[in-house]
Amino acid sequence: MPKSMYVKPEEKFAKRTITFQDIPVCEYDKTVKDEKANFTKEEFLGMYADMVAIREFETMLQSIKLQGEYNGKKFTYPGPSHLAIGEEATAVGQAFTLGVDDFIFGTHRSHHEVIAKGLSAIAKLSDEELVKIMEGFNGGKNYEIIKKHTTGKTTKEVARDFFMYGITCELFAKDNGFSRGLGGSMHAFFLPFGIFPNNAIVGGSAPIATGVALYKKCNKKPGIVVANAGDGAAARGPVYESMNFAAMDQYNELWEDGYKGGLPIIFNFNNNHYGMGGQTKGETMAYGDLARLGCIAQNQMNAERINGWNPLAVIDAYKRKRKLLEEGKGPVLLDVVTYRLSGHSTSDAMSYRTKEEVDDWASHDPLTVFPQQIIDAKVATKKEVEAVRDAVIDRNHRMFELASDLEISPYTDYNEHPDHIESLMFSNGDVPKMDDRECEVRQPKEENERVKKIARSQRYAFDENGKPYSKAKVYNIRDGLFEAIMDKYYEDPTLVAYGEDVRDWNGAFAVYRGLTEALPYHRLFNAPIAESAIVGSAVGYAMAGGRVIAELMYADFIVCSGDEVFNQMAKWQAMSAGGLKMPLVLRVPVGFKYGAQHSQDWTGLCAHVPGLKVVYPVTPYDAKGLMNTALKGTDPVCFFESQQLYDKGEEFVKEGVPEGYYEVPFGEPAVRTEGKDVTILTIGATLYTALEAEKMLREQYGITAEVIDARSVVPFNYEKVIESVKKTGRIVLASDAVTRGNILNDMAQNITNLAFDYLDAPPVVVGSQNWITPAAEYKEQFYPQASWILDAIHERILPIPGYVAKHSFTNEEMLRKAKKGV
Amino acid sequence: MATPVMMPNVGITVESCILTTWHKKKGDAVKKGDVLFTYETDKSTLDEESPVDGIMLEQFFNEDDDVKVMTNVCVIGAEGESTAEFAPAKEGDEAPAPAAEEAPAAAPAAAPAAAAEVAAAPAAGAGEFVKASPRAKALAAKAGVDPRYAGATGPDGRVIERDVRTLIENGPSATPAAAGAFAGQAGTGMGGKFAVGDIGAAAPAAEAAAAPAAEYVDEKMPTIRKTIAKQMVSSLSTAAQLTHTLSFDATEIMAFRKKVKNAGEAMGLNNITLNDILLYAVSRVLSGEAHRALNAHLLNGDTMRYFTNVHLGIAVDTPKGLLVPTLHNANLKSLNDISAEAKKLAKTCQEGAATPDLLQGASFTITNLGSFGIESFTPVINTPQVAILGVGTITTRVREVNGEIKTYPAMSLSLTYDHRAVDGAPASRFMVDLKNALENFSILLSK
Repeated sequence: MPKSMYVKPEEKFAKRTITFQDIPVCEYDKTVKDEKANFTKEEFLGMYADMVAIREFETMLQSIKLQGEYNGKKFTYPGPSHLAIGEEATAVGQAFTLGVDDFIFGTHRSHHEVIAKGLSAIAKLSDEELVKIMEGFNGGKNYEIIKKHTTGKTTKEVARDFFMYGITCELFAKDNGFSRGLGGSMHAFFLPFGIFPNNAIVGGSAPIATGVALYKKCNKKPGIVVANAGDGAAARGPVYESMNFAAMDQYNELWEDGYKGGLPIIFNFNNNHYGMGGQTKGETMAYGDLARLGCIAQNQMNAERINGWNPLAVIDAYKRKRKLLEEGKGPVLLDVVTYRLSGHSTSDAMSYRTKEEVDDWASHDPLTVFPQQIIDAKVATKKEVEAVRDAVIDRNHRMFELASDLEISPYTDYNEHPDHIESLMFSNGDVPKMDDRECEVRQPKEENERVKKIARSQRYAFDENGKPYSKAKVYNIRDGLFEAIMDKYYEDPTLVAYGEDVRDWNGAFAVYRGLTEALPYHRLFNAPIAESAIVGSAVGYAMAGGRVIAELMYADFIVCSGDEVFNQMAKWQAMSAGGLKMPLVLRVPVGFKYGAQHSQDWTGLCAHVPGLKVVYPVTPYDAKGLMNTALKGTDPVCFFESQQLYDKGEEFVKEGVPEGYYEVPFGEPAVRTEGKDVTILTIGATLYTALEAEKMLREQYGITAEVIDARSVVPFNYEKVIESVKKTGRIVLASDAVTRGNILNDMAQNITNLAFDYLDAPPVVVGSQNWITPAAEYKEQFYPQASWILDAIHERILPIPGYVAKHSFTNEEMLRKAKKGV
Repeated sequence: MATPVMMPNVGITVESCILTTWHKKKGDAVKKGDVLFTYETDKSTLDEESPVDGIMLEQFFNEDDDVKVMTNVCVIGAEGESTAEFAPAKEGDEAPAPAAEEAPAAAPAAAPAAAAEVAAAPAAGAGEFVKASPRAKALAAKAGVDPRYAGATGPDGRVIERDVRTLIENGPSATPAAAGAFAGQAGTGMGGKFAVGDIGAAAPAAEAAAAPAAEYVDEKMPTIRKTIAKQMVSSLSTAAQLTHTLSFDATEIMAFRKKVKNAGEAMGLNNITLNDILLYAVSRVLSGEAHRALNAHLLNGDTMRYFTNVHLGIAVDTPKGLLVPTLHNANLKSLNDISAEAKKLAKTCQEGAATPDLLQGASFTITNLGSFGIESFTPVINTPQVAILGVGTITTRVREVNGEIKTYPAMSLSLTYDHRAVDGAPASRFMVDLKNALENFSILLSK
């Protein structure tokens, strides 16, 4: 909270009433006849055509799933099919006004949104642009196939074939799919047409779309963002977090001119009245009307309920809401009335609604009502309307034929490309800046007080006599992180950082001290205490083309953003077959004296999920070097930091931490001491515990230990460790993470495999107890101590003459603990 | 009822045989005595004949399959008879080979199933399973010591690297049982010497670097080669071998041989060779009480088995590799009989028809490379035997006789013996006795 805002008690105690504006419900009720003057015949018929394209596409899937064939051809599709039969007008109305700079996000049920947006984009793009996009996709392979098989005479007709072919292939998991089949039904998208990923996690798109809107705002990019969601998603926390994030007061109160106003995003709830089978209104929700949720923001998110079965009503709303967004009055909430005539999925037994209800809705089916309106308004004849319908159905048939053909549209050949997905897990980019424009800053770097202070600090921890400098004088890990981030702020104009209390407070651990003075709000701001929104929006910001550092105050809060870290941040690079990059650094400080919910090292959790890079520097040199590497990359990085080490000086690099730019490569451990009797591999702050143990072993027992600091967890190069183990024949692995599920167990297993014949004993993992973390007063009972490392060596590896163990690492103890689950 | 045909159990150490050739196809008519298939043990190639007339109903294995002995290989019977009941049980990937490696070379291999059990669940005190770290085992193999004699100081009575180093430096110091009593968790009371300098100094073995493929051909070694390889390494790594060499004046045996060659046939004698003469001499010298330590086996590193009679292993070079058939009770046989039997053994081996049992039971081995002009060499003991005599070629040497330089034919002998069983002096005395016997062969013959 900035000091400029005074929290005045009298004001807070004053008696008053909170009032709300009325929320319009289905105000627009015009028909084709009423709007005849405002749309061309082509536009009306185009809307109908796109609705037919969606209906036929969904009918195809239903037929394949239920009958194993479509249009007389047998085909199997084992994947999900959340059909949107009945919701066509909703999507076509939404897409009608959207340009390719307007991005849509969807849900598990988004075929209709994707198809509507794609066909709408084709209508808006020039022939040259379309050809360029078609030639650019998949090396032009799809375009060649379409050119050979299309019946289209115009570029737009060819492009429609191209689009329907790509989306059908994507659903069928074919190599020619828009994401080479790696996205599939619930994650189909096509970036060149402004279609961003759909998301199989309910409400999962909301934070990501918010981040894309943030990107547009911070980088002054044109267009708006539409976060599609169902009414069921309105119950999800991340959705609320996102709506609040998009509507934060600071955009108007604090952000600089040119950046004022809420985020340009529409939270579009396609309200089909069911969350799977649960009725939202009347059963699982409390809102009465979904549009009421807009009241979480002062502007009520310009909320409105509209008739989604009338495409003209949706178009009307989008025209009005876009204007608001362009005026900085975002965000917007739309409660769009719709209904799915099909089941939630093809396995839906419809146990939750009556046939009468479905029939009642079917009598209002836009696929019947809308063309009738066209005919009644004499926009087109019945024959013309039917011709449009037949041509579209023919297109779907033809594209199904192509997409289901094994020769033309093969599955990805994993025999030939066994590393297909492997090569897509990380982009491994080397991109110093994501854009070329000038960086917006408030002062020259040299004038920054923190920069000046660091210039006076000692970049190596010890003086020429080996005496440590005082903490006040020494360049520490905090400084290393700051320097890398500060430098990047002056290099990459897209870089933004946010998290809880990162501005003014400078982050709970003062890493960002100095940045508040250097940077405008839109590059460094306090996020609400909403980890889902923090990480999810960062995913969107990175996906859109920006570089972002998000901070969780404690590693323990990773699970508050569990979906965003594990399902979103980790997966979109591969799920987009490399189409999306993820230059997102998630800083996760590990606490150590704040009890059970603020002191956990969760490197193991992050390492478990494929797609995340995980590093954990514990020296100033590595903190700066690894941060530099993270910030030039294009991959998501979980950047662990230790709260107990922020003021640690550099004890290993005698030349001191370089002032200039350098990188510490990911995956390379560092040998801290050389020894020949035992190797000790550590992750995180336990390095210093291991060094204590090394000293005890050497001075008291004449045993020399080779201490290796992992530095990175994913990726990890075992070569140095194996080389060491071949020499010593013995290894202890230690970290502050609890022992069970500790990633060191993985490493121990790999080391056993890689150096089995050299081992004098099985590797031993020394982690924290499988308990809750107790108060700091009991840390010696919980965290690995230097003596534990000696105990482990003595009891499991190399009995030390004269040594008496205090902590039991015996087989009996291991069995007892496992049996008890502790 | 159809008749199954098993892979024969051709020798107590044979666990499996390679089915090399099918002579009948499925559905072929077979007569009793027809060769059904040819198979190969680690040492010989043999044919299996049909025990009955009938049709080849089923073949359970393909050529080149490694078939465990006593396993049904095929079924002969009348058209239409069931064969399913004879199908060998699928045993999964049983791996008798590694298990066998666990057993010390001296111990007769147990039946494969039993051996596998030993490897899977080591029984305490069985005396054959050694609980040693991979690193300790690797060092022991490299240094040629038996880790079972290292006093275990590792956790849970495990032999660790430092124990093998102690063993190498100080020799066996603790019984496994005594060493096993040490328990790390007690935290005190570790006996023995502990020198930090001893730890961790072993240089890792150089890793085999893969060469470009075009420059060589990789071929699997045939069974016999693998057996030889295993035996040789086992011998060199478990026995304390050293070799004494001397030469003797071969004038008398050469003269004797000449005499037999010229007149022997007429007297009904075989073509007695110099090698036969050596076999005879060795059998006689070795049978004396004075040299019983060389006519012996060393078992489990702690038991000597002295043989009453002399069973000579004779190294024979065959097209497939080295084979060592046994000439039993040589000390009881005449020179002529020895000569006849040695020739027969060599022939059988060269024809690849030696049964495994023919190749077992020797108490001492003789290997002769003299025909190649080899002057002297260090033979490798065929463990558990404790010695092997290598015979070199005859060279002309000079010596002073009454002030004159005279030449004489000298034949070299090299005795490799296991120092664990025999010391240098008795080994040397055996060599001297053998030399005297050969230089005075006619006297030996008269004994």
